[in-house]
Amino acid sequence: MRRTGLLLIFVVVAFTSKPARAAPMGFKDSWMVMGDFSSSYRELSLNYALSANDAFGIAVNESSLARATSKSKSVEATYVRKLRRWNFPNAQANIWFLGSLGGESSPLSGERKTSASAGLQADYETTRFYSMVALRTNVVAQHPSDIVTARIGFSFYEVEYEQPQPWIIIEARKMSIASADFEFTPMLRVVHRRYFIEIGASGSGDMRLNFMYNH
Amino acid sequence: MKHIAIAVFFVLLYFSNASHASIKVTVNGMVCSFCAQGIEKSISKLSATKAVLVDLKNKVVVIEPREGAQLKEQDVIREIRDAGYDVVRIETIPQTVAQFREEKKATR
Repeated sequence: MRRTGLLLIFVVVAFTSKPARAAPMGFKDSWMVMGDFSSSYRELSLNYALSANDAFGIAVNESSLARATSKSKSVEATYVRKLRRWNFPNAQANIWFLGSLGGESSPLSGERKTSASAGLQADYETTRFYSMVALRTNVVAQHPSDIVTARIGFSFYEVEYEQPQPWIIIEARKMSIASADFEFTPMLRVVHRRYFIEIGASGSGDMRLNFMYNH
Repeated sequence: MKHIAIAVFFVLLYFSNASHASIKVTVNGMVCSFCAQGIEKSISKLSATKAVLVDLKNKVVVIEPREGAQLKEQDVIREIRDAGYDVVRIETIPQTVAQFREEKKATR
């Protein structure tokens, strides 16, 4: 009953974050490097987990406006908070808050202005099933935008702790700054103790590369 | 005299095995190695820890203490909870981490 209610909340609360991560922070006292690359959006970020529930960091990103030839760039301080974690015998669920504050440069004038964003991400996973929804909204920006992301994936088999595990992930993402449509991207994910890599291509042929490394 | 020597031998053997006893913890929430590595890292930092084994399939963590060192259950529980997981059960087992790993391979 409790798990059913949790899954219902997870489906209904469709928030997204920028960009969507399987786990947007590492364990306490660890550093995490993350990257997300596509033709319309590129981000490189680094954060440090001060506690089991809080991580601070920095992110630099570049995004292309729809029907524009130039790119918007930003440098932001980031904050991740694990709002809630549910641990089950064979599953895990989380709700995360992701925020950022920094400066964004206009692709037209090059002028820099303050930018800030807030987002929520919810995920549920087992050793062979993964699902996530996330929403991020720029609350202060030259070009207000939303990013909505949903992911679902599965692995063909379980592995031992020391072995890499391959996954098939399908992502649906809409970045209002780049397009009014959802972009669907199938990806191959490989998860190991230290690294996490995803590579795929959308229906329009746009390549995607995501990675995380935890130390 | 012979019987005393045999008795002393078995007493020494018992305490020798006891010093190799490990702690086996059943943990909720361990679903991927990338996430669970926090448990391995934090338990390994305990001064009394000699070896750690994370078993994702059976949802257990086995911790072997250093020779002569005492692993405190409350320290282990704290580190696992700080890593974001829940401890369901904690028990002492006679195997070392290496022995546990070999037994696990043998039962596959």
